[in-house]
Amino acid sequence: MNGSKSEYEQERARRGAMHWGWILFSFVASLIAWQGVVWLGGYPPFILPGPLLVLERLAELVADGSLWFHTWVTLREVLAGLGLGTLVATILGYGLAHSSVAERLLSPYIVASQSVPIVAIAPLLVIWFGAGMLSKVLVCALIVFFPILVNTVVGVRSVGRELRDLMQVLEANRWQMLWLLEVPAALPVLLGGLKVGATLAVIGAVVGEFVASDRGLGYLLKQGQQLYDTSLVFVGIAVLVVLAQTIYGTVVLLERLFLRWREA
Amino acid sequence: MTEPLLVVEKLAMAYRQSRRRLPVLAEVAFQAAEGEFLCLVGPSGCGKTTLLRLIAGLERPEAGGVYLAGVPMDRPRRRVGFLFQEPRLMAWRTVAANVALPLEISGTPRVEVARRVQSLLDWVGLAGFAAAYPAQLSGGMAQRVALARALVYDPQLLLLDEPFGALDALTRERMAQELLRIWQARRKTVVMVTHSVPEAVLLADRVLVLGPRPASVVAEVNVGLPRPRGEAVLETPAFAALARRVRQALDDAV
Repeated sequence: MNGSKSEYEQERARRGAMHWGWILFSFVASLIAWQGVVWLGGYPPFILPGPLLVLERLAELVADGSLWFHTWVTLREVLAGLGLGTLVATILGYGLAHSSVAERLLSPYIVASQSVPIVAIAPLLVIWFGAGMLSKVLVCALIVFFPILVNTVVGVRSVGRELRDLMQVLEANRWQMLWLLEVPAALPVLLGGLKVGATLAVIGAVVGEFVASDRGLGYLLKQGQQLYDTSLVFVGIAVLVVLAQTIYGTVVLLERLFLRWREA
Repeated sequence: MTEPLLVVEKLAMAYRQSRRRLPVLAEVAFQAAEGEFLCLVGPSGCGKTTLLRLIAGLERPEAGGVYLAGVPMDRPRRRVGFLFQEPRLMAWRTVAANVALPLEISGTPRVEVARRVQSLLDWVGLAGFAAAYPAQLSGGMAQRVALARALVYDPQLLLLDEPFGALDALTRERMAQELLRIWQARRKTVVMVTHSVPEAVLLADRVLVLGPRPASVVAEVNVGLPRPRGEAVLETPAFAALARRVRQALDDAV
């Protein structure tokens, strides 16, 4: 029994290694293809810099410490916005799930707010809250608000009457109803919403920085554009991708941690 | 005779469906003595489940009342254990944590919880599955976990709503025997709804027959069969005669 299990695990590890091997291979292959396009097409660096040039620019930014500074600024905005948006959306979503009056009263406004593009609201937020961190946090919060709200409502509503009856027979109070039933039952759907929100939050921070800022990865992108420093733009994009992937990956880890029962 | 543990007094109940009033129960009245095993049989859709929900305090009657040891069941109370048609386990909790749920809610000390959960899992023969999740259990095992959960807080009254209805015939017979064994050891007062006449006669001290909707108790059959009742009792003429009487009462009621 034990032997077959470790065999199974070996097989799994082997497949995992193969999986990463393929990812590495495709990454290197696409870098080579990229460099090939630059050489064959003879593009000037301000139109399409090759990967080596971009890597060089990256090394510069790392060396003078500015990359960490701007990444940290954007990361803080993203995390604060994601936290704020999630907090407000789950509380409001819980209320909407339990009160059809509140839902009828508020949902037209919530849906309407979603039909206004975030890029149109961002300048307004900068006028009201200044060009500092707060306006970016609010843009992030606004953009993650809707998917998390919808998923909270769906998640809480998915708690069946059957388990509610059971909890009532056991004389559970409101808090126990929330912590022992509603939160764990809604968690899979809620974490699904958080996954969507996590990637949107990065977009929100960049949009906010585009409108008005003197720091952050969005600011770096804008600088690169204005100075035709295209390698800088590429570095910014690459870091943003890594940032979004990392936050998304963290939510996936949370999912694995909290929803272990689903794998059983 | 001592004061009965459960008194159901002229219960009347109707559901409202957009202005239409749909009467479900009309003057249902009966009593159960402490330690008595009562089975309710009746035509399907006659309101048996509603009756159990009223006894548990999950619904409010239009008229009449339910008293458990003199206390009105005007709201759910933990003195009642309810085993539903389905197991209703929490998918994110292990078997042990599902059984522990009632004790967690009542704020029982951890050591005591662990001890009682262990002993109940032993009772229902699932000690080896304490760490399993509900998705890994068969239907019969899941319902046994639900039974353990209903018994773990030692309720005064156990309500069973067709608890074996969703199981296959073989598992069903085994579960009935297991229920008998547990009831014999713990002497709980039980009110059980079932569709199966033989099951009712095998388990009950008394079988109450409900009429069609709006339901009331139309007949009562005392099952005097000696206990403990093994599977052999199913073959006796006395058992057959009692089953015939219950079935006759059911036929007359419709």
